[in-house]
Amino acid sequence: MSWRNVKLIFLREVLDQLRDRRTLFMVAVLPLLLYPLMGIGMFQMTTLFSEQPRTVVILGANDLPALPLLNGDRFARTWFRISTDADKLRVISDANPAPDQPPLDKAEAESKARLLERAQQMKQLIARRVLLETKLEQAREAKRPVEVLNLEAELQTLTDPLGQMFHNSDIQVLIVIPRNFKANLERLRDELAQRGSAEKSLVSFDYPRPVIVQNSADEKSVIAHNRVTDVMREWERSLLRSYLRESGLPEHLPTPVNPTAIDLAVAEQMSASVWSKLFPSLLVIMALTGAFYPAVDLGAGEKERGTMETLLICPATRTEIVLGKFLTVMLFSASTALLNLSSLGFTGRYMASLASGGGMAGKFGDLALPPLASLAWILVMLIPLASLFSALCLAFATFARSSKEGQYYLTPLLMVTMGLTVFCSSPGVEIEPFYSVMPVMGPALLLKGLLKATGPATDLYLYAIPVLLTSIGYSLVALWWAIEQFGREEVLFREAERFDLRLWVKHLLRDKEPTPSFTEAGFCFLVILLLQFLSMKSMQGAMQGIAEGERGLLQVRLVLIQQLALIATPALLMGVMLTTSMRQTFSLRWPGFGRLGCAMLLPFALHPLSYELGRSLEWFFPKPPPGLVEALKSLSGDSVPLWLLLLALAVAPAICEEIAFRGFMLSGFSRGGKVSLAVALSSLAFGIIHMIPQQVFNAALLGVVLGMMCVRSRSLLPGIAFHLIYNAMGVLHGPLGSRISDEGIWSWLFRHDQGALRYQPVLLCLAALAAIGLLHRLTRHPNAHATAGKPDPMSDDGQQSRPLRQVDDRHLLNDRQKLLIVASVKAPK
Amino acid sequence: MSGNPGEAGSPHLLGNAGSPSGDLRISVRTPRVITVERLSKRFADLQTGGFTALDDVSFEVQPGEIFGLLGPNGAGKTTCLRILSTVLRPTSGTAFVAGYDVALHPAEVRARIGFMSNNTGIYDRMTAWEMVEYFGRLYGIPEVALQERITHLFNRLQMNNIRDVLGSKMSTGMKQKVSIARTIVHDPPVLIFDEPTSGLDVLVARNVVDEIKSLREQGKCIIYSTHIMREVEKLCHRVAIIYRGKILAIGSIEELADRYHQPDMEELFFQLIDAHEEQLKLVV
Repeated sequence: MSWRNVKLIFLREVLDQLRDRRTLFMVAVLPLLLYPLMGIGMFQMTTLFSEQPRTVVILGANDLPALPLLNGDRFARTWFRISTDADKLRVISDANPAPDQPPLDKAEAESKARLLERAQQMKQLIARRVLLETKLEQAREAKRPVEVLNLEAELQTLTDPLGQMFHNSDIQVLIVIPRNFKANLERLRDELAQRGSAEKSLVSFDYPRPVIVQNSADEKSVIAHNRVTDVMREWERSLLRSYLRESGLPEHLPTPVNPTAIDLAVAEQMSASVWSKLFPSLLVIMALTGAFYPAVDLGAGEKERGTMETLLICPATRTEIVLGKFLTVMLFSASTALLNLSSLGFTGRYMASLASGGGMAGKFGDLALPPLASLAWILVMLIPLASLFSALCLAFATFARSSKEGQYYLTPLLMVTMGLTVFCSSPGVEIEPFYSVMPVMGPALLLKGLLKATGPATDLYLYAIPVLLTSIGYSLVALWWAIEQFGREEVLFREAERFDLRLWVKHLLRDKEPTPSFTEAGFCFLVILLLQFLSMKSMQGAMQGIAEGERGLLQVRLVLIQQLALIATPALLMGVMLTTSMRQTFSLRWPGFGRLGCAMLLPFALHPLSYELGRSLEWFFPKPPPGLVEALKSLSGDSVPLWLLLLALAVAPAICEEIAFRGFMLSGFSRGGKVSLAVALSSLAFGIIHMIPQQVFNAALLGVVLGMMCVRSRSLLPGIAFHLIYNAMGVLHGPLGSRISDEGIWSWLFRHDQGALRYQPVLLCLAALAAIGLLHRLTRHPNAHATAGKPDPMSDDGQQSRPLRQVDDRHLLNDRQKLLIVASVKAPK
Repeated sequence: MSGNPGEAGSPHLLGNAGSPSGDLRISVRTPRVITVERLSKRFADLQTGGFTALDDVSFEVQPGEIFGLLGPNGAGKTTCLRILSTVLRPTSGTAFVAGYDVALHPAEVRARIGFMSNNTGIYDRMTAWEMVEYFGRLYGIPEVALQERITHLFNRLQMNNIRDVLGSKMSTGMKQKVSIARTIVHDPPVLIFDEPTSGLDVLVARNVVDEIKSLREQGKCIIYSTHIMREVEKLCHRVAIIYRGKILAIGSIEELADRYHQPDMEELFFQLIDAHEEQLKLVV
């Protein structure tokens, strides 16, 4: 590796990008102009934006009490917090027009009459509905289920036409005042004045109340309804206060507590909270977009302009080329993000100062820019983000044939990132140990926390270590992937061929090879993952309405079906259809008694270790949802016979999952000759399929053990044996564990914690020693003379030319076989 | 699927292009600058399953010689030259350039060849001078020597008028000149030209051919691939006729004429191809 070459390529690419008008526009001009322009736009919007008045119809307005709710065709301004809001509601009432009111013109009078007519039509139905609801309430309280069902059905048949009528009526809110409402209220007032002396039953005195009708699926109706309820509440309070006053009672009687609210947020915290919401998301999104356009230009663009080969024939190695390009993309990614952030920061501050100076409610006060320490943290977090996105984008861009194709890859990448940022910016989501090791989320959440904290946040500083370490790890993997892409002939010299599905399927079925290809293995994983996801709904449906006691049994059945139909079957089908040798694909080979025996002993050593590891890592993972905990409990209940439980949770997974993950996928992933990568990928896939973070972690760890076992023994059997016994131990841990003695000498090995069996350090040490010994024996190189089956590419790790040759030899062999068939020579078997 | 060919090699020897030293194999191979032994290359292909672009090809080229690869489009010329320039990896067989195995020491090989083809374009957003300078630096030429060399090349190729013109503003002829300058800036012992005159007008094509002639006189080892008979007759000492990935005949033009009793190169070419097609039919 020559850093001189990397630097040369980097400098050239930067110069090249700076001479490109599009890139400059995206990186520098757009952010500098965008936010001020958006600010101006917002200002104009707030001044120009005016709401259309919504229609409120009031029936029975003549029965309103004396305190005026209405003022002509508006609600009285008194009841609005902002008095101009009164103009946002147009009131049509059936009240007698005031004598001083100017007569309506013809069109207005017609529309008023039409609306009132429609309201009148609905009035009857509404009254019946109110009655029905009261009855339903009573029936529910009296626990008469048959009557409840009947009433519910009746209510539904009434609601549907009513809803339709309301929707078509152009009325946003309809208020129905009951007859004699005014009289009732006056009576209430009088009773109150006499302290209930006229009739002793003041406490139980009740009367029909007004009804407010809205449609919560219609935004206009919702807004109008909210305004109306605010107005009514204000009016109601005032009414009550006047009654109390007239009765010689204290006005504040209905609000005896009425605490005084004090907001102690200082301006600094206010602005910190604003920035902590805006900056992390913007940083992530802009680091991505800033990386993407230069990456497409540097990858696909270079191919498109025909300069890729010029670069490939210079002495710089492909790693140097990719590194040079990567650094360029990263520079642009980081500068885009920073420019956007500063532009937003200054615009926001300016806007806030305008708002507070201009009489508008200065919600943020003086929006101070984040302190220097926070700015430094933004820079620190930007590095892993920008490097991850740059490497990812570069890999995608290298893969693309043309800039246009490259642009297509932006959408999914952006969607995923947006999803993550939306999650991170939602209120209440804070950094946790688990999130801190996730890509993108770690830096975004840490930054959110750091920007929010106004003082030193020691607990957050600790998170910086895992966040940075893992983020840099992810970036390195992505970079390695980009380099890998750059080394692939078929990627660099992809011709813009027309994709023909029929041809491709034909090719898949015709040009089969003994073991599946890398892509086929990846596809198998996606199919299994998708099937799992799709089956969730039907599983949920099956579980519904099942009595508590039978749930466990049903769940066991579902697990069995899931294992057989959704994990083993796709892998086996793909094996039959896409490969020529089931034996090689699924490593069907006798591993020898020694290996098999070791594989059967290993669970006894590994189970205590992984169990205690899981327990000690509980703090790390987010808490599982309560539904899941319940489901697991119902499985371990006594309702399911133990043998069935073992079948579903140990035997079936051992066979089905091994067939899919160590069979099809591992053979496919190891086709490139990189066994470590194959084991890593297959165990990652194995982990992901387990869905819940704790299990993902656990399964991925075991996947590595299982993968190594399979590669080194070139047989699926040890894995199946290990998997079966390991899972069985998990199942038996609960019921049998409590019976194991922890007294006397046994207390050195076991203890019980809330009924669960726990392992003592001594046992763990012994188990670790045994595990190391067994693993050593199991992952030993296979004997030199056993060369049948899969080539053992482990010995070729690092040398890239040999495994390739091996694969290609197989091509040649295939062709020779074909030739033989063509010449119709019968080959003796 | 697998990694980068450049990674396996030892650190490449920048700056002393053309003077490899030390290695026993190198001293043995030096007389023949390019040795190609039983080279094959297969590509995956959706339509047919696999496609053999190059099938068991062997030849050698001496210094001071122009070796012609004559064949129609799709015959495998470009694939062969791409393997020699280490951009593609051979499926089987070996090739040595200036004493280095292309599969094992790709960086050393690349430092010792100049490669020009239709697919080696020039950068749109770089001037002629910057372009040549950039590649000169990548070849590790010391700065002072590089400036001298570029000045010399720009004078010789009469490129001083386009010195500061961006690639996007150049005509095809200008671009071709820049490409030639880029190809020979590090004064490599081996030069590979893959259809350098295709798509050029007569005048520019003639200039290119003349330039290659003058390079031959400097004792370079040159491979020249083309489908134009006249260029082969004008330039090449020896020629290999390549068709469907196979070399049908190899030798100097006089030898070939003698061997097949056909003095006209074009007729000879068609005669060989027809014979090959007949043979293929028999096999199937």
